[in-house]
Amino acid sequence: MLHKRLLAVALAAVAVTACGANDPKPGTGQGQQAAAGGTLYILNQGQTQNFDPAKSQSLAITSLGLVHRRLTGWLNAEGKQTEVVPDLADTGKASNDGKTWTFTLKDGQKFHDGSPITSADVKWGVERTFAPAFSGGLGYHKQLLVGGAEYRGPFEGKELDSVKTPDAKTIVFELNRPYGDWPWIASTPAFAPVPKGKGAEPDYSEHPFASGPFQVAKYQKGVEARLSRNPNWDKASDTIRAGLPEQVVIQLGQEASVVSQRLAADSGDDKFAFGSSFVSPAQLAQLQNNASAKQRVVTSKSGALAFLALNTQKLTNPKVRQAFQYAVDKAQYQIASAGNAQLAGDTASTLITQGIVGREQFNLYEAPPNGDQEKAKKLLADAGFPNGLENLDFLVSTDNNYPEKAQALQAALLKAGIKTNIRTLDDDAYRAEITAADAKYDLTLASWQPDFPSANANIQPLFATSEIGGGGYNSARYSNPEVDELIEEAQATVDPAEAGKKWAALDRKILEDSPVVPLIYTRNSFLRGSKVGNFFIADFPAYPNYLQVGITP
Amino acid sequence: MPAAILRMLRRDRWALAGAVTVTVIGFVAVFATLLTTIAGHDPYTYDSAALDPATGQPAGVLGGISGDHWFGVEPLTGRDLFAIVVHGTRTSFFIGIASTVVSVVLGVLVGAAAGYLGGWTDRIVTWAVDVFLGFPYLVFMIAISMVAPPEIPKPLLLIVVIGFFGWPGIARIVRAQTLTLKQRNFVAAARTLGAGPWHVFRTELLPNLWAPIIVVATLSVPSRIGLEAALSFLGVGVPVPTPSWGRSISEAIQWVGTDPMLLIFPGLALFLTTWGFNVFGDGLRDALDPKSGVR
Amino acid sequence: MLRLIAQRIGGMLLVLLIVAFCTFAVFYLVPSDPAQLACGRPCTEQNLALAREFMGMDSPWWRQFTDFLVGVAAGRTFGSGATAIHCAAPCFGYSFQQNTDVVTLIAERVPVTFSLAIGAAVLWLVFGIGLGVLAALRRGTAFDRIALAASVAGVSAPVYLVGLLGILVFGFTLDVVPVGGYVPFSESPVDWAWRLVMPWIVLAFLHAAFYVRLVRSQMLETLNEDFIRTARAKGLSESKVVGKHALRNVLLPVVTLVGIDLGGLLGGAVITESVFSLPGLGGLLINAVHSRDLPLVLGCTLFAGFLVVVANALVDLCYGVLDPRARLT
Repeated sequence: MLHKRLLAVALAAVAVTACGANDPKPGTGQGQQAAAGGTLYILNQGQTQNFDPAKSQSLAITSLGLVHRRLTGWLNAEGKQTEVVPDLADTGKASNDGKTWTFTLKDGQKFHDGSPITSADVKWGVERTFAPAFSGGLGYHKQLLVGGAEYRGPFEGKELDSVKTPDAKTIVFELNRPYGDWPWIASTPAFAPVPKGKGAEPDYSEHPFASGPFQVAKYQKGVEARLSRNPNWDKASDTIRAGLPEQVVIQLGQEASVVSQRLAADSGDDKFAFGSSFVSPAQLAQLQNNASAKQRVVTSKSGALAFLALNTQKLTNPKVRQAFQYAVDKAQYQIASAGNAQLAGDTASTLITQGIVGREQFNLYEAPPNGDQEKAKKLLADAGFPNGLENLDFLVSTDNNYPEKAQALQAALLKAGIKTNIRTLDDDAYRAEITAADAKYDLTLASWQPDFPSANANIQPLFATSEIGGGGYNSARYSNPEVDELIEEAQATVDPAEAGKKWAALDRKILEDSPVVPLIYTRNSFLRGSKVGNFFIADFPAYPNYLQVGITP
Repeated sequence: MPAAILRMLRRDRWALAGAVTVTVIGFVAVFATLLTTIAGHDPYTYDSAALDPATGQPAGVLGGISGDHWFGVEPLTGRDLFAIVVHGTRTSFFIGIASTVVSVVLGVLVGAAAGYLGGWTDRIVTWAVDVFLGFPYLVFMIAISMVAPPEIPKPLLLIVVIGFFGWPGIARIVRAQTLTLKQRNFVAAARTLGAGPWHVFRTELLPNLWAPIIVVATLSVPSRIGLEAALSFLGVGVPVPTPSWGRSISEAIQWVGTDPMLLIFPGLALFLTTWGFNVFGDGLRDALDPKSGVR
Repeated sequence: MLRLIAQRIGGMLLVLLIVAFCTFAVFYLVPSDPAQLACGRPCTEQNLALAREFMGMDSPWWRQFTDFLVGVAAGRTFGSGATAIHCAAPCFGYSFQQNTDVVTLIAERVPVTFSLAIGAAVLWLVFGIGLGVLAALRRGTAFDRIALAASVAGVSAPVYLVGLLGILVFGFTLDVVPVGGYVPFSESPVDWAWRLVMPWIVLAFLHAAFYVRLVRSQMLETLNEDFIRTARAKGLSESKVVGKHALRNVLLPVVTLVGIDLGGLLGGAVITESVFSLPGLGGLLINAVHSRDLPLVLGCTLFAGFLVVVANALVDLCYGVLDPRARLT
């Protein structure tokens, strides 16, 4: 659960361009070249490991990808932009101005039981995500497919007519509006095949039909998931999975601090293990005294955008909101989040995260790293608040050291005459308030990693009017009809380069209104055992690529 | 009664030590701001200069203890630990005392009513006490502090909640005492003279209940302070940035391997306070309740 | 006799019902939406409504509570058709977050918590009673004074503080014991015990403190009683006087205390388990509280309440055995 939550809330991107003084030394940590064979252990904090694609929000390169292939996949490497590449099918052809997408499946693909994977199985997998019993996964496709809003899944006997399978190898999606990022959407978990008619049982996640290099051999609730080789996996047609280990064991319910100690000690099977959750600042500090363990820490180059959201429904004056851009102390925020700037990540000034196609580096509100509280005061005075602001409700989640980070901002805001009261809520209650129709908070601290490497996934979920309340993540409650129109226009653009330009312009336009204060592009650190190889974090996402990891000889 | 306490303090060195500790801590709680002003730091200001730039840990040995920072500083923030512990005293002490007052008032009223009135009242109270003692109250406290609207000040909420869940223990003792007093002649006399229950309670029962009430109140302060710390430890105590020992200790967990001072100072403060109340309370009991004098 | 037992059981059920209702009421009011978790990302109003309906959260509060009670007696089904989830009686709910019924989840955690509580209880009873009796017999000696001082310290120290100090000193500085985690007894009895040594000692130290104080004062009081003097006058040996006559009297309040302590601990030692990273019931409950997993919270509190109620009943039973006067009252 927690891991899923980390994935869902702490979110990330890439640093190809910005090679500042803060960059970690290249090549450290990732380990040697791995060979085929051996047992790989993954130490997981959560009590459950979900292998049901319909319920999954996981990235294309983590544990779900070991068991399931999808229509398209991600090819990522250090220093390279992440690409959408063929997986079970090609990357799709657009027609009808980007409203209709056609994918052709590769020949000879099979499930682990040897039965062939056809377009009907992919269609069934997509349809299955609409069933109320299997909700909870990434659902970008649900609003886009024609008729998706009313559809309730295939178990009630109805098909989704906008997904067509003219033959066993071809699948056609009809969208209700042009959408250039559809090939990326086809890489989300919903596009993994499920044999037609199967998957009605609630514990499908524990014994799914596998199409990837591994199948679930044994699932012990709360203890471990044991993956063995899938004999029917077609290695030749799979360009994104190395599939090296003979066996993968995912140990569940492992306390983060215990994981860190075990991996640091590096004894027994822990040599072949890595932790799936971030190494915390306190754990990093502890590893400083352990030369061997220190070497085995892998830190991403960039990551999720951490930002201070200003509730635009409460702080209605853009001048007032701009004062916050100068008042925050990003350097102190870096220290509070990871001890130093290098481990925390670069300070941020844009909404699009590093390494995303079309990103432009700019800073509308130049200030020293510790902020310019005097300038903030002046802006507030100009806006009619010579005595600053009083009693702002500053809501944060108790997860991920947010209260400590919030206090760092609180201290800086106070210097600019902005008095805040921090209110902490458990992560679930926090999310309930952030995504509800009415919000009491004035400020909140949030973090966002795009679900796929497109500026679209950076901007639309956070700033479109449709994402206010009703489960949406527009925590600044920012609503600008002009921006909404531009977002739709950029989404409809099929050519990535052209779309990139439109997103960059949006980035600037939104920040002029100052609904959020970008803080840092958060780096994530992971720890591995000494015998784990090919353990790298590419430019996007800020997580190790599980599909390539193996054991060194 | 004060004379008895003074005699006890003169005779019982442990109780004296407890009394002194409690007084000193009370003094620190009242004059927290003055003390931190003298020491030169408040518990809120961030100071990255006091941190090791490479790791964000306190610069220097033993968590950054120096002439400037008497107890060192917090990792990642550089806030002064002395100021945090001193201001934490205020949180713990006041919430502990105030919630004890709440429990004692409730417990005495309910316990005396049950013991004196008897019958159905007594049966219901006894049963309610049993139910309460069987409750997983920590869970309820957590839930209630999440349910309460943010407009209610958190310290007030903590006082009411901790106080409320403390009444059954006190009611039990008061009920037992009332039952014995009820048999005594002066109470029976007052009743035959036609005095109402409230009158009897005020003029006959209460004066004779004082001694056990004071003892049980003193001895229950530590558990209230402990509860506040436990709630803060679990993340539902006083809101940040108001210092609290429980929260400091909970944060210290992850640092225990690298910066043990973060655990030791707030932990010692918490321990000394509960210890002081306990030994002082033991002494009081010995002095005021000769039957249990076993020391 | 039968009527007494029936009354007793009826009383127990009533207590549990009240615990269940209060838990339900409080958590129903908590401002969060479990359906939101099941909604996915991005989440729309329609999806949210569907998730609510599926989890049975669209009905009024009293209906949800009675559904729960009916489920305990007769089992429950969530959803309908091919995708329905069946939860057989006694169904204490189904955790949608963990995809498992609550009874299974609790059953998985029981061995951890019971290992912790029972191991610690054995230690604290042996040391608490032993030291308490010795201190009483050697009243006023240095031994007595040290035992008393240590027990006041034990009573005053919160469990997380002692636990953390133990981890700091024995785990990190001296590096002699493991600092957390759990190994099932069936996997390796040695590792099982070795991992639990620290938590046992910490819990036992804190609890033994209460027992030393209680046993000591009770013993002193008893030794002054007439029947002890009579026994001594009859020429019984001192060991027989203490061991048979006095100790029996001392054990009565000890039994009550053990009942309350053990009943509470078995339901989940929330803080101890969190300090030592033990995957027990306390951790399950606290996680459920934090993630607003209402069915799981209800199940855990009911289980904890059940243990307390049963412990109380057992205490009463022991009273009858130890003290003939208390029988049948």
